[in-house]
Amino acid sequence: MLKIYYGDIDSEKYIFNPDVFFNNSYKDEWITDSFSEQMIKDIDGSDVVGPRLIDSPFLGAIPTERLSGGVKTLILMNNDSDHIFNASACGDNCAPWILKIGQRKDLTIRLGYLMDFGKERFDIEIVNLHQVVHTMKELSEAVLDCHLL
Amino acid sequence: MIGKYEIEVYNNKVHYFLSIKRNITILQGNSATGKTELIRLIQEHEANGTSSGITLICDLKCTVLTAVDWELRLSSMSNQIVFIDETAVFLRSQKFAELVKGSDNYFVIVSRDALSQLPYSVDEIYGLKNVSDTQKYKTYKRIYNEMYKLYHLDIHGIKEPETVITEDSNSGYEYFNMLYGGRCISAHGKSNVYDNIRGVQDKTVLAIVDGAAFGSEIGKVIRYLETGHANCTLYAPESFEFLILSAGLIDVPKAVIEETYLYADSKQYMSWEEFYSSYLSDITRNTIFQYSKVKLAENYKTESAIAKIATVMPEAILPDRN
Repeated sequence: MLKIYYGDIDSEKYIFNPDVFFNNSYKDEWITDSFSEQMIKDIDGSDVVGPRLIDSPFLGAIPTERLSGGVKTLILMNNDSDHIFNASACGDNCAPWILKIGQRKDLTIRLGYLMDFGKERFDIEIVNLHQVVHTMKELSEAVLDCHLL
Repeated sequence: MIGKYEIEVYNNKVHYFLSIKRNITILQGNSATGKTELIRLIQEHEANGTSSGITLICDLKCTVLTAVDWELRLSSMSNQIVFIDETAVFLRSQKFAELVKGSDNYFVIVSRDALSQLPYSVDEIYGLKNVSDTQKYKTYKRIYNEMYKLYHLDIHGIKEPETVITEDSNSGYEYFNMLYGGRCISAHGKSNVYDNIRGVQDKTVLAIVDGAAFGSEIGKVIRYLETGHANCTLYAPESFEFLILSAGLIDVPKAVIEETYLYADSKQYMSWEEFYSSYLSDITRNTIFQYSKVKLAENYKTESAIAKIATVMPEAILPDRN
């Protein structure tokens, strides 16, 4: 299930800067995993040539470290269950993937803005409130009513 | 610092065009639209100059501020355009806000999180978009990126709203309350606008906010309106004082309104809202329209003055005065 901590978080597990954390911690197999390849294709429009080489339609051949901050954070969410990642590094276009990862495993992230999780129903626990919400209306009202952001 | 600055930065793969005209500009939007790449190009150009293979064209120095010694570096900067990526941990700190206040630098900040301690404009929140397919660039091989405004407030016609919420609590509130026949409630500040809209969710609502400093709230309010409150229209002029200055009630040079960036010195004013307020107070001093933010002077409350100021508001939100 996807669990989201809104606002400031004080935890030793929290990674504020997933971009740099990714560069210094990713494993080759995370990149060539088919789920990662799909995310990289969808978000960055890039193809994985190998664990250390990405073919970007905009930047040409780039090292894995130059993937977008959003897709790096998604790959971390999917592969590293020991940390809570700052999902504000992800734009709205990452939301469907965060929901998918949340369906595959228990995933706790931090958000500092109201990411758009779309019109379909979902199960998201707002960790600060111990409350499960199912629509964007419920989510935005709960977060804003309680001044979490 | 005053002025409007065009920035062009490119290498052999990507090409960016930016236009900056206020002290604070925010870049947001989807992942992989090139925000971090933009910062990287500016940083590499700064470190290596023309040896970087990157071309940067701007009348001012462009620099990137990272978390390393940021206070020291920022304190020594002057007349520069300072780019800051979202990975800078100090962005939401009070100390950063204090250093932005009174700074003679412009700031371009990548951040999806609202920076509530900074008064930035709803009009200066941008995304980056690839415009390579447009007629202008499609014969070239590079990727061309331009800024686009993220928030276009759709003023749809809600004649005679049941409730009008104003961010202003004093003069602005007084004026709008007269215009809308006593149907106004004051939110007493930008951070309370959501709560007030939420409190009257069953009614048709017009919320009037000071666009010049409402940037940190706009994302939250818009998302709520998109998902939960279809009967609320958000109107975000620069400020109430901007409406007065634009209305022709007082003799104001056109350039002050149309090219405010030439007048609103970032060292003196943290937002254009502050500038318009100060400017209006100054030019009306010892006149019948002497302006005070605290209490609206009687000459603004006449039928003709109320109507004159209303002429610069969108017709769709004006009350039916018959």
